[in-house]
Amino acid sequence: MIGLISYLVFFTTVAAILSIAVLGLNLQWGNSGLFNGGVVAFFGAGAYTTLILGGTPQEAHLGGYQLFYPLALAGGMVAAGVMAWVVGILTLRLRHDYLAIATFGVAVAFENLMRNAEWLAGGAQGLRGFERPLHAWLGDGFTYNALFLIFVLLLLIGTYLFLQRLILSPFGRLLRAIREDEIAARSLGKNPARIRLTAFVIGSVIMGLAGGLYATFYAFISPQDVLPILTFQIWAMLIVGGAGNARGAVAGAFLIWAAWTASGWGLSRFAPVDLQLYTGSIQFVLIGLVIVGMLLWRPQGLFPEKLVVSQSGRH
Amino acid sequence: MNKHIKHAALTVGLAIGISAYGSAAFAQDCTTKIGAVLPTSVDWGKPIAATAQYVVDQINEAGGVAGCQIEMVLRDSQVDPKVGVDAAKALVDLDGVQVLIGAVSSGVSMPILTSVTVPAGVMQMSCCSSSTAFTGLAQEGKTRGLWFRTFATSGVQAAVGAMVARDRGHKSVAILYKNDDWGQDIGKLIAADFESVGIEVTASVALNDGQASYRAEVTEALKGQPEALYLALYPKEGTAAVREWISLGGTQNMIVANSLKSDEFRDNVGLQYLGNTVGTDTASPRSESASAFVEQYTAHFGGAPSGPGLANSYDATMIALLAMEAAGKDADGAQIASMVSKVTDPSGTPITADADGFKQAREVLAGGGSVFYQGATGNVRFDANGDVSAPAVTWGFSDAGTKELSFISLTDVDAFMASLK
Repeated sequence: MIGLISYLVFFTTVAAILSIAVLGLNLQWGNSGLFNGGVVAFFGAGAYTTLILGGTPQEAHLGGYQLFYPLALAGGMVAAGVMAWVVGILTLRLRHDYLAIATFGVAVAFENLMRNAEWLAGGAQGLRGFERPLHAWLGDGFTYNALFLIFVLLLLIGTYLFLQRLILSPFGRLLRAIREDEIAARSLGKNPARIRLTAFVIGSVIMGLAGGLYATFYAFISPQDVLPILTFQIWAMLIVGGAGNARGAVAGAFLIWAAWTASGWGLSRFAPVDLQLYTGSIQFVLIGLVIVGMLLWRPQGLFPEKLVVSQSGRH
Repeated sequence: MNKHIKHAALTVGLAIGISAYGSAAFAQDCTTKIGAVLPTSVDWGKPIAATAQYVVDQINEAGGVAGCQIEMVLRDSQVDPKVGVDAAKALVDLDGVQVLIGAVSSGVSMPILTSVTVPAGVMQMSCCSSSTAFTGLAQEGKTRGLWFRTFATSGVQAAVGAMVARDRGHKSVAILYKNDDWGQDIGKLIAADFESVGIEVTASVALNDGQASYRAEVTEALKGQPEALYLALYPKEGTAAVREWISLGGTQNMIVANSLKSDEFRDNVGLQYLGNTVGTDTASPRSESASAFVEQYTAHFGGAPSGPGLANSYDATMIALLAMEAAGKDADGAQIASMVSKVTDPSGTPITADADGFKQAREVLAGGGSVFYQGATGNVRFDANGDVSAPAVTWGFSDAGTKELSFISLTDVDAFMASLK
């Protein structure tokens, strides 16, 4: 029983961290129509920067500033935001699939930089040496995990409420207006380029927060954590949950991550011994089927976007 | 031994009697789970997992561990750190394993170690993670003695590669290495080793996975007109790079790491181009137990063990089970980990790497003795950081697969490595 609780705490922590990243993507794609194909770059910028700022000194590469944890986390968010701002200025003129390809390229470049720049973050060996906050009092066992989960959940709720307010604000309406018809928005005297850039940066900062939490939870990050598969997973979560609906984004993250882990667990437990070696491949097929099925029969996601015509305050 | 078994049988019998199950009880009624997190969805990961499962089957036939049958719960890591970590956490929390075999990639093994096994006090034994970061972590005391790997650190392999180049009289060498943690490590190590035996390194080029062509990289390596080529690559990109290397007129004097010890590489490049290729590997087949491993493996799987990491996987699983036997029933991870030195003790009774060896070990351990496991990768011995040093072999390609060229004993390896520094 204690084992089950301990596992559920662990699972919920990872799912909640991924939910935060999906919320960031939801602002970009769901609310603003920006196709970010390089989620993992912003996630990774947050993760790496947090560990560099908050970790203990390591030989032969940058880092070890041992900053107070929330400061390190904030530093990770700033790094993701700055990167998004630079990338945004360069690419936001691009639309749809062009933007997707450009951001995907940024993500691949980011991974390659981290893999090769050993002076920066240890290269392919990755970045370690992060001491868990308060570990002298909390240890690194169940108590720590439980408190860390509470911390992550608070941040998830905070992010959710912030985004809900943002979407209901005039800025949120502007985002939808630009998403639906940019020329119409421009004719009303709005500046779509600036608004799009703002949304892109805010979404990326949120992804950076998720990355920082992820890296500190594992106390380790390596180029293997920032492969394109993560971008795919986060997109799958948003598509299944329902783009444009923050509640859907969170539900999608929990559902897809649960399916991902439970299918591995179930196959390892119930598949015949001869098939055990193939469970990995079977799992990929199953997950692929869920996503394809979703796109075929419920493309709007489990929780479709609620379109608000007039200001919500008037009802 | 008899006393031990009787005692175990009595205890278990009593326990079952009390819990009113009533039926005729004997020692084998219990099952102990161990966990394995291996990349079974990747082509080279499957045989590594199959080898681990094979060890478990053998030991179960030989009567199990500490009176219990072993069940290995295998989970796929998908070479994705968060999937691997989640699988490890589920094994530790839901299945209650005290021993975890895995993972293969260092990028997966490391977060499992830092966030799952060390906090939970579970012993982790990897067949194949090579990153030097683990040594650093162990030196800082952060593995709490729970971490072991049967993959000799890349240091041995790099040193032997330099030794081969020196003995063959090469004056200059180009290096092609896989751009991951293992490749970067070994690429750096071998470059330093070449320099210290007086061989010029004309180029050291990293190759990324999954490229259609490596022409640019190969051309860069060709520029310095090296007398020999050193390859620390996996079969897939190794094949592509060597094909281009030879078609562009590069030398056929090649020295390759054990990762290319594969039929796939030999067949796809063509044996006629590989006559002057010498491979290195951490040692195997010197002791009887090791050749027995090759025979057993061939008989069981219908082919010689030719993929990377198979002998290492065999030893990792076997040593873990031996340590569990030594620690006795219901031991926790730390107790099991503390027994590893007792089953790899150079002054202990030598035992072979098969079911009979395990039975013999059981008797010796029950009598309070220690054993010296003669593994499929040689006489495995762990240092304080959970790393192994190992004797080495050089090998070449042949019609039948690979053939051994020379054997370099542990003493010679250590002496040569000391001379490099």
